[in-house]
Amino acid sequence: MLAAPRPFNYNEPSARTPTRFAMKPFLYAAMAGYVIAAIHAVLSFVNKRRAAERITLYTAAFGFAAHTGAIIFDWARDGHYPLFSTTEALSFLAWTLVVAYGLVTYRYPLRALGAFLLPVVSLLVFASQFVSVNNVKDPSSVTGGSGSWLFPVHVTLLLFGYASFFVAFAASVMYLWQERELRLKKFSAVFHRLPSLTTVDDVASTAASVGFTLLTLGIVTGVIWSRARSVRMFHNDPTEFFALLTWVVYLALLHFRVQWRGRKAAWLGVGGFTLVLCTFVGAIVLGGFHVFR
Amino acid sequence: MSIVLVGLNHKTAPVEVRERLAFSDEACAEGLRSLVDGETVQEGLIVSTCNRVEILAASGGQRAPEAVGRLSQFLSSVRSVPVELFSGHLYTHADEAAVRHLFRVASSLDSMVVGEPQVLGQVRHAYSLAVEAGTAGRVLHKLVHHALRVAKRVRSETGIAASAVSVSFTAVELGRKIFGSLKGATVLLVGAGEMAELAAQHLAGAGAARVLVANRTYETAQRLADRFGGEAVEFDALEENLAQADIVICSTGARDFLITPEMAERAREARRNRPAFFIDISVPRNVDPAVARISNLFVFDVDDLEAVVASNIREREREAERAELIVESEVMQFQQALRDLDLGPTVGALKDKLRRIARDEFERQRGRLGPLTPEQEQAIEAMLMSTVNKISHPVIHRMRRSYDAGEEGEVQAWRDIFGLEPKEDERR
Repeated sequence: MLAAPRPFNYNEPSARTPTRFAMKPFLYAAMAGYVIAAIHAVLSFVNKRRAAERITLYTAAFGFAAHTGAIIFDWARDGHYPLFSTTEALSFLAWTLVVAYGLVTYRYPLRALGAFLLPVVSLLVFASQFVSVNNVKDPSSVTGGSGSWLFPVHVTLLLFGYASFFVAFAASVMYLWQERELRLKKFSAVFHRLPSLTTVDDVASTAASVGFTLLTLGIVTGVIWSRARSVRMFHNDPTEFFALLTWVVYLALLHFRVQWRGRKAAWLGVGGFTLVLCTFVGAIVLGGFHVFR
Repeated sequence: MSIVLVGLNHKTAPVEVRERLAFSDEACAEGLRSLVDGETVQEGLIVSTCNRVEILAASGGQRAPEAVGRLSQFLSSVRSVPVELFSGHLYTHADEAAVRHLFRVASSLDSMVVGEPQVLGQVRHAYSLAVEAGTAGRVLHKLVHHALRVAKRVRSETGIAASAVSVSFTAVELGRKIFGSLKGATVLLVGAGEMAELAAQHLAGAGAARVLVANRTYETAQRLADRFGGEAVEFDALEENLAQADIVICSTGARDFLITPEMAERAREARRNRPAFFIDISVPRNVDPAVARISNLFVFDVDDLEAVVASNIREREREAERAELIVESEVMQFQQALRDLDLGPTVGALKDKLRRIARDEFERQRGRLGPLTPEQEQAIEAMLMSTVNKISHPVIHRMRRSYDAGEEGEVQAWRDIFGLEPKEDERR
């Protein structure tokens, strides 16, 4: 006899006791790798050292491998896509950031990105271990029902989108920083470590358009999933509101990018990312349907 | 073995003195052969560039003061310049100081423009001349190779050569900062002038695809364009050309602004907001400073460029301080390597001798010990060797200390006590 389907209740605490400490060594190794990579990235940024750059690459690669291992183990152990709790979401977000870092540095001469991105990655992994430890949402709340396969797709797309927006944000900051120094004609030591304006502008617009595509797909899958499961398309919570606002801002950004380029586009990149932060933090602070628990 | 260096450079001697002492390649080889006598001077090397003349020599034992005298005598006789004329400009360094000086020269810390790259090649060239002349021996081999390594380390670990220190290269560097690669960029040269031409040349050298030249007289433009492989354009069509140019270099004698904000704004629109870089080297200025307020347009006038150069020079000086630390640690490493090179044979001979004595004694008494198992045999061997090491260790330690203190006599005394004959190549 199959058990009767549970009624949907996202506030109900889980009955399962999470075995969250099982695969910790992998995550700790990843954290160590990221922290070392972050320190060396900042060092090589502030104080040109080629050796430090190499260490950054190796330790970041090591951290990434360990992190991937940790996520796969979690997945295998829990038997569901590892994206339900805030812990998992933060850790996965860090993972997508590292993926973005790898892709960008492979494609562009933008080593300086590490100095912006890797500290954030380290913090995210660190933070993921300290938030809402005793609240794990029951996966069945989202794995049940029709169209449940859409949920992981929805979340993954959005997290990768956020990572792209972060890259766009970092590149925009680099743009504004340099543009300011060029205008004032006063150059700090760091100026020489930053890639050219054209490069960061290029990275910012590419990252923004990739992020926008992912955000669009993420929102669409979310809406479809929501319809399939509870007929309602929207839940009127802060996350949905901010996500739509973000979408509009990035749409404007991509639209005007061709005309504006440079400074204005960079400010939009920064503004758009602020909204992304609101979306993510708003979900946690203001509560609502989208909270990872 | 001591290393001695005698020389003068742009800081100590005026060009009139330097030019009279400079060596051509042939004179260098010839001079080296007459310098090295196998007694006071065993190895020699001459670095002669427009900024410096340095003679580096390795001499045996405690002959540094003698060698210094010989080097300045040599300089005077081989260039037929009386010693009085240059002795006031001369600096002399011995041992550690000489090593440090060579490392600093090779790393371009002693150059007129700190961080300039040519001097490394000049040191390498001087070394190859000495090798050809057969005057570079084991000490100079080691020293020069070490110096080249230090220079490489300084270059890669500090930003000593990172930023441009001339106005025209600064322009190129700023262009790179804005456009990334200059490949495919279009340069518009308005007017002519030495600095503007130089900047245009550097930009073309950095890969700029097109150079447009505008001048009030079309023939001058044509002539200039031919030199850069560029195209001459009509001076009156400035605005159309602005729309094409990524980099604009202005250097005309015009009394007022040639490029107004309105013109620049229109050009920017035509360029669909792609950034443009204006270099204004003319005085009075040709580009209205208001142009700089338009976004995506960057304007640098002469003063701005000079200020960048000045700050780059300061940056180099800051980096030079870090480079000095690297040099210092490398000097210490080299001194140690040199000591091993010098004392190595003596230390080896001492150990060999003691071991031989121990083994001989063992062999003599071997018969009385009766049959021994392999383990016992090994134990005796180990016992003998550790006894030898324990006796020789303090001796070697003292020998090294005496060597570091420059007490060659002490080292010799140890050699005499143990009856060690220095090897053939050491006695030289």
